[in-house]
Amino acid sequence: MAEWIRFIAGSVFLLIGLFIFCVQLFGVFRYKYVLNRMHAAAMGDTLGISFSLVGLMIFSGFNFVTLKFALVILFLWCASPVSSHLIARLEVTTNEKLEEYCKTEKETDK
Amino acid sequence: MNRREKEKRKEKSEKEEKKSSRFESWLDGDRDIYDGNMELRPQKEYEPSPYLLRRQENERKKMEERVNDVARNKEYRVFKRAYRVLAVVFCLSFIALLVLAVSWLPPVGQAGNPDNNEVSARYIEEGLQETGSVNIVTGMILTYRAFDTFGETNVLFIATCCVMVMLMLDEAVLKKQETDNDRKYEPKNDAILQGMAFILCPVIFIFGIYVILGGHLGPGGGFSGGAVIGAGLILYVIAFGFKKTQRFFNEAVYKTAKITSLVMYGLIGSYFYITGANGIENHIPLGLPGHILSGGIILPINICVGIEVACTMYAFYALFRRGGL
Repeated sequence: MAEWIRFIAGSVFLLIGLFIFCVQLFGVFRYKYVLNRMHAAAMGDTLGISFSLVGLMIFSGFNFVTLKFALVILFLWCASPVSSHLIARLEVTTNEKLEEYCKTEKETDK
Repeated sequence: MNRREKEKRKEKSEKEEKKSSRFESWLDGDRDIYDGNMELRPQKEYEPSPYLLRRQENERKKMEERVNDVARNKEYRVFKRAYRVLAVVFCLSFIALLVLAVSWLPPVGQAGNPDNNEVSARYIEEGLQETGSVNIVTGMILTYRAFDTFGETNVLFIATCCVMVMLMLDEAVLKKQETDNDRKYEPKNDAILQGMAFILCPVIFIFGIYVILGGHLGPGGGFSGGAVIGAGLILYVIAFGFKKTQRFFNEAVYKTAKITSLVMYGLIGSYFYITGANGIENHIPLGLPGHILSGGIILPINICVGIEVACTMYAFYALFRRGGL
């Protein structure tokens, strides 16, 4: 019985993670502008992967591997937002026609 | 500054006195052997006359018109149709060939398969006693096949040497680039990235060292651990810039680490080949399987390979980005 509960809980988490990955993929190909696409991609990189890994943690049970999974989640949560931030910063500093795509500080000041 | 120049001049005059130092000075790049001994003239740039240019342009236009005229160009039409048909035929026949080859393969996991021969049987049965490594794969590639792995490490060394020959810039050029380059838009001194790298870099380095040292106890080894350490170095450079990295990893450290590790691998490896090939007793203790200090030559070789791979990864990044370490 306990095995079944564990299996169902793990698969639910995995399926939620897969669903978020699907939404991410859809968003990446649906949007045309960098910052919009990045928003969609970053969602899967943090939330989707953490849901999938939590599902795998439930499958593996409580042991040393679980700790490693937790460390992987921590690492990804550190690394992915920072890389997204760098891409966004590069886009903002290099795009000369940024006002066409989104509100900038200059416009809001007016 | 002045004192340094004087010292340099002094060194130069001392060098010129010795005859044997001529080779050394040529090696250091102080003296060009063609300078003064050979007439060197800059090449004249070729300038075609405007008449010739116009004629060439006309000819090219005519040619393009003739070739792109699909209605009258019968050869082009035939070629296009035949190309499509042949492409489909080629793809189908290639797929058929591959599928046929796969159908001839023996089914997976049967005892009578040709991959279940005496070689793998010996690795599995005797590997632990002969190499002292719990991880059979590491034991295999670093003892039975150490010669092959030595070649791989040499490939890495030669690859970085080639990239250095092609991309390494002179110090003067590098300094000039720092003042006027087109990388001013690149995110520099980003507070978020620096904060994250401050936390992550030590963790990445420790993990890489763990992977290298645990190569004979579990999954891991020199190649993967070296790649992890190289990635950590690259992260450090991206966050803090080359000036801060050069305080602990500059060209001198790079050369010393890389060449020392390769030579160490060569020495350990050749001792192992010579004793093994001639049936002489190997004096490197195998230790207790499962402990960190076990596995004979595997641990030192793993460390050497790890240093080599980490240096290669970092050097590739630095050379492609900046043209210097």
